[in-house]
Amino acid sequence: MAQVSCQEPLSESWMESANICTEDFVRSVEPAMRPFVSPIEARRMSKILKRSVATGKTALAKAGAECPDAIITGTGMGCIDNSEKFLIDMARQGESCLKPTLFMQSTHNTISSLIAISLGCHGYNNTYSQGMISFESALLDAWLIIKRGKSCNILVGAHDETTPLLAKVLRKAHPEFGFISETSMSALVSGEPGAVEIESVEIKSNATPEEIASTLDSDRDTVLMLGVAGIELNDSPYKAMLSRLDFEPMLLQYKNLFGFNFSVSAMGLYAAYAVLESGNVPESLLFGNTATPVETPKRITIINYSPGTWSVIRLKHT
Amino acid sequence: MSKRVLITGVGVLSALGRGIDRTCDALRNEESGIGEVTYLATEHHEFPVGEVKFGNAEMAGELGVGFPESELRTVLLGALALREAVGSASLSDADIRGAAFVNGTTVGGMDLTERLFKEVYESEGASESTVNLEYNYCGITTELTARHAGKFAFVTTSSTACSSGANAIILGAEMIKAGLYDIVVAGGAESLSKFHLNGFNTLMILSQERCRPFDRDRNGINLGEGAAYLVLESEESARRRGATPLAELSGYGNACDAFHQTATSDNGEGAYRAMSEALASAGLNPEDIGYVNAHGTGTPNNDICELAAMRRIWGNNLPRFSSTKSLTGHTTSASGAIEAAISILTLRKGLIPANAGFSNPIEAGAEPVKETIHDAEVRHVVDNSFGFGGNDSSLIFSRYDD
Repeated sequence: MAQVSCQEPLSESWMESANICTEDFVRSVEPAMRPFVSPIEARRMSKILKRSVATGKTALAKAGAECPDAIITGTGMGCIDNSEKFLIDMARQGESCLKPTLFMQSTHNTISSLIAISLGCHGYNNTYSQGMISFESALLDAWLIIKRGKSCNILVGAHDETTPLLAKVLRKAHPEFGFISETSMSALVSGEPGAVEIESVEIKSNATPEEIASTLDSDRDTVLMLGVAGIELNDSPYKAMLSRLDFEPMLLQYKNLFGFNFSVSAMGLYAAYAVLESGNVPESLLFGNTATPVETPKRITIINYSPGTWSVIRLKHT
Repeated sequence: MSKRVLITGVGVLSALGRGIDRTCDALRNEESGIGEVTYLATEHHEFPVGEVKFGNAEMAGELGVGFPESELRTVLLGALALREAVGSASLSDADIRGAAFVNGTTVGGMDLTERLFKEVYESEGASESTVNLEYNYCGITTELTARHAGKFAFVTTSSTACSSGANAIILGAEMIKAGLYDIVVAGGAESLSKFHLNGFNTLMILSQERCRPFDRDRNGINLGEGAAYLVLESEESARRRGATPLAELSGYGNACDAFHQTATSDNGEGAYRAMSEALASAGLNPEDIGYVNAHGTGTPNNDICELAAMRRIWGNNLPRFSSTKSLTGHTTSASGAIEAAISILTLRKGLIPANAGFSNPIEAGAEPVKETIHDAEVRHVVDNSFGFGGNDSSLIFSRYDD
């Protein structure tokens, strides 16, 4: 797995010393691109495309893989910077003399296909765009493919970039958001056994907090990684769910480090993986509760809520 | 043995008209839905388009929705097609609550965004309209559309440009085969927008005449709009409900051309792989295919590469093929689903639509169906959808016999 966010890029150094974000809108820290694309290519690519190639290639390198069997991306807004530039040109000059490159690199699937072109990967390729469950949709697809034994290595990513104008739209449309951010995360999901296993991927629309709580009965020994952030509007569905549990699990958070955007739930999975793999629970992830802390968690269940929809992903250290 | 995925309902809306019966009649009569732009407020009247012949107010009135939904044309088109699909499969509210909805769209609410954008941009996000730019998002388009059928257990969006609808159908089938849902409503919707009309224009691939897919002198696309959804259902569920299977989704393939963002490789690698994989997953041989509803956009690049890919599979014995984009226009994200609905007409009604605008073949022996065939005995149809980024998908629909 690899990430680019407001934390140190392509690194897990946030586990020891995290950047504390105090601004309302925080852009990502860009990684050096030279190892991933030539300077000429880089000049033609928007930020989200560069970040997706950097995280994708880093995740592959970490797993010792070259070309995955499939590439699946989740993105809430896709290549919004290029889309916005095309809209700005239309607003300024009307319907003439517009730039083809902006349009060509404006669709959501530009990300998956660019990674495929850069790796020469002809396998299954798909893109999901469903607000805050875009990543979970992509992961569910990968999960189904692996369960059917069709493809072994699948590069799953979630990428969102945030322009200053989009930050203003999100601020108005989402009063529950804390600091607005950008995140890119790529993971190589494999049918082969590894250190951490994805036990299940579930997405439930129109489910109540009670229904979600009732599915967690089997998670008594599990640490919960929640999309909470200490913001009442954001946290209240989680609190309603937790109040229905008849046990008190240890709780972790991640949005305090990675902020709010449509792809951020992927950072919950990433942080949970980092905890399981390293056996360390960074203090910055603790979410104030009275449960006895688990020092080296063996299972983490990642739970996220977006209006009307819950996602539950179970990870286990093997 | 893998679960079989049946189609037990269909809804379709395009420039040809509203509903599967109307679509069938229009195709039988070779009526074209392509003409001068009327509903989209664009300067570009030189490009013929395949518009759905309803204004937003008319559709919003029927659906009973107000602003901003009343100005989200993709939602309006999608909702009408979705209602038809759900009705034709006789899905109850309880069926919907246990079912998933997978929508294919790319433009989403861009039509509303592009109207509000100047004001929002010039006010630097201070304008009251700022919040409405959120309706641009594909995910919201899908959620709003879904509500017109009821409360689905899971709703998501596949967004792979012109193959979105086909990829939505593939995810739906995978979820049924995995036993996650018995019923998945899947397809795509896309309205015309100034954004993508102008975008395609910057690529210089729009034709100023009626498009001529697979013709030697073809010179580009006529964009279109519309929506279509299939009710995909497991065999057991269809039997339990007493639903009438219209066809079977017997195979599918998804591959990436991995060549260029907007052009296709000369040998049609992605298209070849998508069709080959679809045939393999259906357990069919190339000669079993009675008709190919081609992607056939009418651009010089697509059609020759699609033909090259077909030649790699069928050699000199190409099956009957045509591009119905010559009558509907290229409905982008909806095209895979609209053409799936047409493929079902081929299986059930023996209808093979003509490839309008065709005069001279690109190469010897590569002639599409020139005149409508009304009584074809076809058991298996390939439906191709190829998107920007080389997102190539093929679906195979077969007659269903228990």
